[in-house]
Amino acid sequence: MSESRPVIELRGLSKDYGSGDSTITVLSELSLSIEEGEFVGVVGASGSGKTTLMNILGCLDSPTRGNYLLNGTDVSGYNDDQLSRIRNASIGFVFQSFNLVEQLTVLENVEVPLFYNRTPRKHRRAICMEQIEAVGLGHRLRHHPSQLSGGECQRVAIARALANNPAILLTDEPTGNLDTKIGQEVLNLFHNLHEDGRTIIMVTHNPEIALSLPRVIELRDGRVEDDHAARTFLDRMEVH
Amino acid sequence: MFLERVIEVWGLGLRNIWRNKLRSFLTMLGMIFGVGSVIAMLSVGAGARHEILSAIQELGIRNIIVNSVKPPEETTEETTEDVWKDKYGLTFEDADYITAALPSVERLLRVNRIPKRIWYRSKRLEGAVLGVAPEYLETFALDVSRGRRFTEMDSRIRARVCLVRRSFVKQLNTTEDAIGMWIKIGTQPFQIIGLLADEEFKSHTREALAIDGVSQEIYIPYSTSMHIFGTANYVQRGGSHEYSEIDLDQIVITAKRDEDVFITSRILKTMLDNMHEKVDYNIIVPLELMRQRENTSRVFNLVMILIASISLLVGGIGIANIMLASITERTKEIGIRRALGARRNDIVWQFLTETLAIAVIGGLFGCLAGIAGTQGIVALTSWKAIIEPHYVGLSLGISLTVGVVFGIYPARRAAFMDPIKALRRE
Ligand SMILES: Nc1ncnc2c1ncn2[C@@H]1O[C@H](COP(=O)(O)OP(=O)(O)OP(=O)(O)O)[C@@H](O)[C@H]1O
Ligand SMILES: [Mg+2]
Repeated sequence: MSESRPVIELRGLSKDYGSGDSTITVLSELSLSIEEGEFVGVVGASGSGKTTLMNILGCLDSPTRGNYLLNGTDVSGYNDDQLSRIRNASIGFVFQSFNLVEQLTVLENVEVPLFYNRTPRKHRRAICMEQIEAVGLGHRLRHHPSQLSGGECQRVAIARALANNPAILLTDEPTGNLDTKIGQEVLNLFHNLHEDGRTIIMVTHNPEIALSLPRVIELRDGRVEDDHAARTFLDRMEVH
Repeated sequence: MFLERVIEVWGLGLRNIWRNKLRSFLTMLGMIFGVGSVIAMLSVGAGARHEILSAIQELGIRNIIVNSVKPPEETTEETTEDVWKDKYGLTFEDADYITAALPSVERLLRVNRIPKRIWYRSKRLEGAVLGVAPEYLETFALDVSRGRRFTEMDSRIRARVCLVRRSFVKQLNTTEDAIGMWIKIGTQPFQIIGLLADEEFKSHTREALAIDGVSQEIYIPYSTSMHIFGTANYVQRGGSHEYSEIDLDQIVITAKRDEDVFITSRILKTMLDNMHEKVDYNIIVPLELMRQRENTSRVFNLVMILIASISLLVGGIGIANIMLASITERTKEIGIRRALGARRNDIVWQFLTETLAIAVIGGLFGCLAGIAGTQGIVALTSWKAIIEPHYVGLSLGISLTVGVVFGIYPARRAAFMDPIKALRRE
């Protein structure tokens, strides 16, 4: 695990919604950096801007002010096509509600990101089968999402997020729709990925989950309230 | 590589269409009717045009045909005998005067119609007897398939020879060779010397040449007909007698050049107007007919285009409507694809392809429906139709155009959705 250069760097990043008198500032003057291989939790009260932050990190949205450097490149001024390319190549999303395309099979769902970076079909198949095997669903390739359990769906979503080998994995409450046991299994999957060196950013409401993470950023009213980057192994032991 | 992608996007579109079979089919109906009516109207229109053109060509583009007709007012004078005598129609003087006065006339052919019954032994046959000059046979391309035509020599010696249609021979009901056989026109014997190739005249041609009803023509030399039968026509119908005298039943004038036809016909009309008290003739100018038909077919085409455009417009709006509904339904999918890296263009292509697929499938079915409909029309009416292979290409072209025109807006709407909002949609 090499924690050297920042994969993500935010410099005075703000996000406003609305215009004129009704403008609300959802994120204000955020500055933080996340190194390669980190597993970061994002916590905060409802409405504190967690999802907004994730959308910006995931290049689904652009900041109103400030800069977002991804792998050292400032992407804050990118246009739609450029952002699409970044999402495709560098970002893996895992959503709370899985967000699989119902009309497509498991295999086809995982293939979607590779379809948009023009990977030839045969090659694509091979990569995706491998990813699906890795999450233990090799026997479900031709099933449709409606035929799978919630936990299985989320594992397909993880396989899909990893299909393009992205620089960062973004996930907003991945266990929110799952019961505790299945949620734990999915969480373990993320821990394994972290151990393999993946950079992961995870929004969670669950304090227990948050406490199991090496670093937690707490948002309040669009500002960083706390950044427990230095939390030690001992601190965690005390809580348990 | 590019092709592979195109195939994949089409595959995706077709799968979506197949998933919603009923809805897709209903959406296609507009295209099916639109393209179907285009094809049906085109082929019927082409058939009608072809029919008219070939009839006019049969009549000859440089010819002007003048028929004697019974004048509308019944001004008949009673003779002492108990018969009706009636003299009308084109006269020998007319013919001489036209030939002398009109330098643009290359030749003038006289035709004598003989309304006599035809007999073979004791069997009565159906036929219309026409006394014509040998050149008349050339003018209307009356070729013999067997035997020979009559010639200048036959005319000069007033030979009792005749040419008949093949189908006329069938009436003889004999296995013997028809050529050389003798038939009777009225009481006069004539020998069959040639069989005309059995391509009957088109109905337009028959009308113009005043060949009545279903009967087949029998041609005899003009000179013979004048010598034997003369200009007096005596017809006995039921109990009444009809006696009429017509010098010339028909004249066929051939202009020297194509450009002369109109002016010749105009002068001819003025001349005949002056020389005849009653309108006991009618002038048929094939070239003029052709111009008229071209004009009417232009109107017909316009109406056709209008109807087709309306049905295609309705079809297109139907497609756009369904695509908009489909996009609303699939907002989530669009959000997911965008989050995973689809560019706006990718989304445009995905939905445009689907629209095109619906339009093209609808168009091809419409082409089939149009061909089937045309066959139906042909079977039920006396219309002719011409179905050409390029109609398939045309249908494709039309449906692609409709697909693009009505698919681009829904597709762009899908592509310009905010991915975040789209993702939030359940
Ligand atoms: N498109 C938008 N237009 C206007 N306001 C918005 C928009 N999106 C989010 N907001 C506002 O921004 C604030 C932060 O929203 P956000 O979704 O980031 O919160 P969150 O921390 O993810 O909350 P939760 O824990 O409930 O998911 C909220 O007050 C929300 O109403
Ligand atoms: Mg949220």
